[in-house]
Amino acid sequence: MVKYTIKRFGLAALILLVAVTTMFLMIRAVPGDPVSIMLGPRATPELKAILTAQMALDQPIWRQLLIYLGGLLRGDLGVDVFSQRSVSDIVFQQLPYTLELILVSIGWSAMLGIAMGAYAAAHPNTMIDRVTAAISVSFIAAPAFVVALLTLLVFAVKLQWFPAIGAGEGFADRMSHLVLPSIAIGLSWVGYIARLVRASMLEVMGESHIRTARAFGLSEPRIVGIYALRIAILPVVTVIGVGMGFLLSSAVFTEIVFARPGLGKLVIDSITTRNYPVVMGSVLVSTALFVISTALADLINAILDPRARADL
Amino acid sequence: MTVAATNTPKSQSELGIILKGVCKDPLGLMGLIIVGTIVISALLATWIVPYDPIAMNIKDRMQGPSFAHLLGTDQLGRDTFSRVIMGGRVALKVALPAIFGAMAIGLTLGMIAGYGPKWLDNLLMLFFDTIRSFPTVMFALAVVALVGPSLQTVVIVVMATSIPTYGRVARTQTLTLRNSEFILAERSMGAKMSRILGVHMLPNIIGVLAVLAAMDIPGVIALEAGLSFLGLGVKPPTPSWGALLKDGYALIRQTPWLVIAGGLPIILATLGFTFLGESLRDVVDPKLRKNR
Amino acid sequence: MKLEYAKITMNRRSVLRGASALGVAAALPATFGSQAYAADGNTLRVRSYGDMSTMDPAHSVGVVDEEIHGSVYNKLIQYKPGKEWGWQMDAATMIEQVDPTHIKFALRDDIGFTNGFGSMSAEDVKFSYERIIDDATASPNKPDMGSLSHVEVTGEREGTIVLNAPFAPLWSIALPYITGNIVSKAAVEAAGGRIGTDPVAESGPYLRSNWAPKSKTTLTRNPDWKGDAPAWDNIEILPIDDENTAEIGFEAGEIDFTRVSLGSVERYRAGVPNGGTLIENPSLYYLWVGMNLDHPKLQNKKLRQAIQYAIDVPSILEAAYFGAVEASTGIIAPGLAGNRAKGLIAPEADFAKAAQLLEESGETNVSLTLDVINKTTFTTTAQIIQATLASIGIALEINVLESGAFWESGSNENLQLILNRYSMTPDPYYATSWFTSEQAGIWNWEKFRNDEFDQIHKAAAEETDVAKRAVMYERAQDLMEESGAYRFITHEASPVVHSAGVIPALRPDGLGLYRYFGKT
Repeated sequence: MVKYTIKRFGLAALILLVAVTTMFLMIRAVPGDPVSIMLGPRATPELKAILTAQMALDQPIWRQLLIYLGGLLRGDLGVDVFSQRSVSDIVFQQLPYTLELILVSIGWSAMLGIAMGAYAAAHPNTMIDRVTAAISVSFIAAPAFVVALLTLLVFAVKLQWFPAIGAGEGFADRMSHLVLPSIAIGLSWVGYIARLVRASMLEVMGESHIRTARAFGLSEPRIVGIYALRIAILPVVTVIGVGMGFLLSSAVFTEIVFARPGLGKLVIDSITTRNYPVVMGSVLVSTALFVISTALADLINAILDPRARADL
Repeated sequence: MTVAATNTPKSQSELGIILKGVCKDPLGLMGLIIVGTIVISALLATWIVPYDPIAMNIKDRMQGPSFAHLLGTDQLGRDTFSRVIMGGRVALKVALPAIFGAMAIGLTLGMIAGYGPKWLDNLLMLFFDTIRSFPTVMFALAVVALVGPSLQTVVIVVMATSIPTYGRVARTQTLTLRNSEFILAERSMGAKMSRILGVHMLPNIIGVLAVLAAMDIPGVIALEAGLSFLGLGVKPPTPSWGALLKDGYALIRQTPWLVIAGGLPIILATLGFTFLGESLRDVVDPKLRKNR
Repeated sequence: MKLEYAKITMNRRSVLRGASALGVAAALPATFGSQAYAADGNTLRVRSYGDMSTMDPAHSVGVVDEEIHGSVYNKLIQYKPGKEWGWQMDAATMIEQVDPTHIKFALRDDIGFTNGFGSMSAEDVKFSYERIIDDATASPNKPDMGSLSHVEVTGEREGTIVLNAPFAPLWSIALPYITGNIVSKAAVEAAGGRIGTDPVAESGPYLRSNWAPKSKTTLTRNPDWKGDAPAWDNIEILPIDDENTAEIGFEAGEIDFTRVSLGSVERYRAGVPNGGTLIENPSLYYLWVGMNLDHPKLQNKKLRQAIQYAIDVPSILEAAYFGAVEASTGIIAPGLAGNRAKGLIAPEADFAKAAQLLEESGETNVSLTLDVINKTTFTTTAQIIQATLASIGIALEINVLESGAFWESGSNENLQLILNRYSMTPDPYYATSWFTSEQAGIWNWEKFRNDEFDQIHKAAAEETDVAKRAVMYERAQDLMEESGAYRFITHEASPVVHSAGVIPALRPDGLGLYRYFGKT
């Protein structure tokens, strides 16, 4: 298990390294000179030269990359030349907004999805099962930003049940600001998770140790709730881990529609201003988030199901 | 994720069986009808639109639905219904090449990874994992900023982000098939690699990928719409569902109809392709179900 | 002010400076300075189109920073809220133009800086102004100070501003706007000469008590402020770039004051939700179609003129601006010296004349590109231009660009037609400065080069006779139009809404002067 963990995180680190390098080279290829954008029409050549040197833009690209990677090892994401603030400050200030949005979204949808799936699996081919199936498929059909637009209009503007913009302050206020955005992001996951859980539950319920448990006279809810669900939940863990990239993408749109602070808004703003250090920093952190969550999902899987360990 | 090793290459009649299987499933049939409608209306768009989708009539702008304009008109007085129909063509123009391209490249790379030497396998897997690790929208934003927004850019972005999915599945299938009895038998009889890969493996893998592709199309359509919503999609005056949503969002309190007209086809297309894909999957390979 | 300022009504808009300094501000389509506000007890909530970038006036990027600086710093004079451009005293108890290049002032004695940096002195004024023009500061706002030479300190709180040459915009831009903010010499020097995103010492009626990047800037009443007490205890400034989103926030009661989109004006005229009020202000922005004179395809003047005549401005105003704005005659808006009552070419298209010019040009099969930023108003405008040009046989391809790429257009040699919009401060000097030969390829994207124009730009800044100055700027715009490189469209407008309970204090162009906001 220790060996697996080391190997898995070694792979994660390698992926991250390749990803950072790719991103770095790609961003340098984007047209648009950050120094001119930053200084505007009033820039003098001297001023430009100073800033270019500050951003190390005058160095060969491989040196720039090495400088950047060296900084990363020390936990230094560079400095935003526009505001002279450290990029890690900027990124980690926005990260919590996005994380809380993603966690709340996936939290409620996983709970509801698992409950629906387990219930449907316990009552296969009944009316309830079919209704669940139909609901789950319809939920899939809703891209996050379309749901975001509609909920915003109906619940924030027309009915005014929930706040329309921003992230709020204090626990209760923040939660009420999270309701609509997390519905937009989580909605399509409910059905997905429900179907996943239902399918794997049905399979698990047919397996021998569940049949054994039944033979021992354990109550059905106990079997479903404890023995079967524990195993059936596995694919959900994986799917959420792998789905982190998708969740982040949904968050980008949702943050825009609801004018929420967060990584998504940060990335878009910094791309349009060609603020390279901030673009790099925020994409790097998002990528790391994805890579780590996939690795964790694999790890949890390996703990719960030893067979998965062989599969690296 | 195993395909029965005894599966033989699919024949024409098998396609008929698959279709029949899909039609027997009510959801599958519904999916087939929706997808069929979208495809046919996109193909025949030029003949079935009631108005020229780019002809302006500023006097009649931002109207609600009426018999003259089934979905109303936009801010330039253009018929929204005509633009929705034409938008279907754009959606498919993005989705199909992107999916086919991603499938072809993913299939090739995946088979190489699965059949080739271990180091190449590792390298390709690293490549897949890296691409997959970028959040799609952020990756797309960077690329669009790099080359400027256009239909081709969107296709390329979508393609690039979908390659890993197909590559990984193709690899797994290849690995499994590689050690299956009938392939081993072929090899022992001295069959060439090209024959093994092309004749025996490809047909087995492609069915699985086709199912994946059908289920992937809604995601692709939504991504195109999302990019257009951010103002990074196709060029005006080309009608697209995402552009309708973008204009609709800007004018949402003036007229809700643009958002509805842009959102509805996306939801419908998603439903249709999901139904069809699931049904196909069940027919082609019921075992896939648990692994998806 | 003895100069010309009182006579001309100016409008000002500061986004231009945002555009110039950052490229991005102008990219934010609609908003140029807006404020929003939700009356919650004693907190005013206003919306800004962007997030604060610095607390240093020398590096201010425009409206978004000035909205904050204006409340936490003092200036000798401030813009006066109202429908006409004018100024009022702030830190000065006396200010007087002794001759065209000397301005005497005396400071109030009751203004102090926070963090123990003592009371405001003439040394602070000298330091603040000279810092702007000092090359070591590298201030992008240096041109706003024009011909400032230095400040003579004649007493603890008295001094004289000395100019190298008469500078008409001194009273309309230099003193009451960004560069007029007075910072504490001791505090800035203690901080190493540069102010970052936190203030080193404040003196105004408010203190910037908190900044949550991308989320909120909070201003809180300064307990040591001795001037007229501001009405609100707290002001929260929320950065929201999209006006549509801001309107949703306003209607949901989460914002008290914001600029609104022109598309919503008609709806708000019929009634503003939550008992709010709509105020329609003119704006100084100018929108135009430019043609790159360096491009091989646009060398033929008759072709350019054909395009000028074929663009139908009323259709654009109707479809993209919902009929809520007027056609413009140039780059200088009504209310400013030099505004032309009439352009050389009428706003309405003259297709017959356009077709005739096209035929005379001898060009056939003309196909061109038009670059626009990816906002609905502009893409709508572009599509109308596309349709009208098609009617005389010119094919137009629209390139929609995100703002980062769009604001790089100066160096884009392949640029052909461009739909562009600049913001403005309330002095015509500011408008012409972007179209000189010197600016070609920087902000003069048409590469318009005209010696007479360059000369007028220079001379008019020093001309103190308002009438003469106006004639000069009118001539400058004639020259632009005659080149065939410009088709002027509109100055837009600046409608704002505020909720019940708020008494807004606005510049004539609708920007909020928050320190003067009142409540009912």
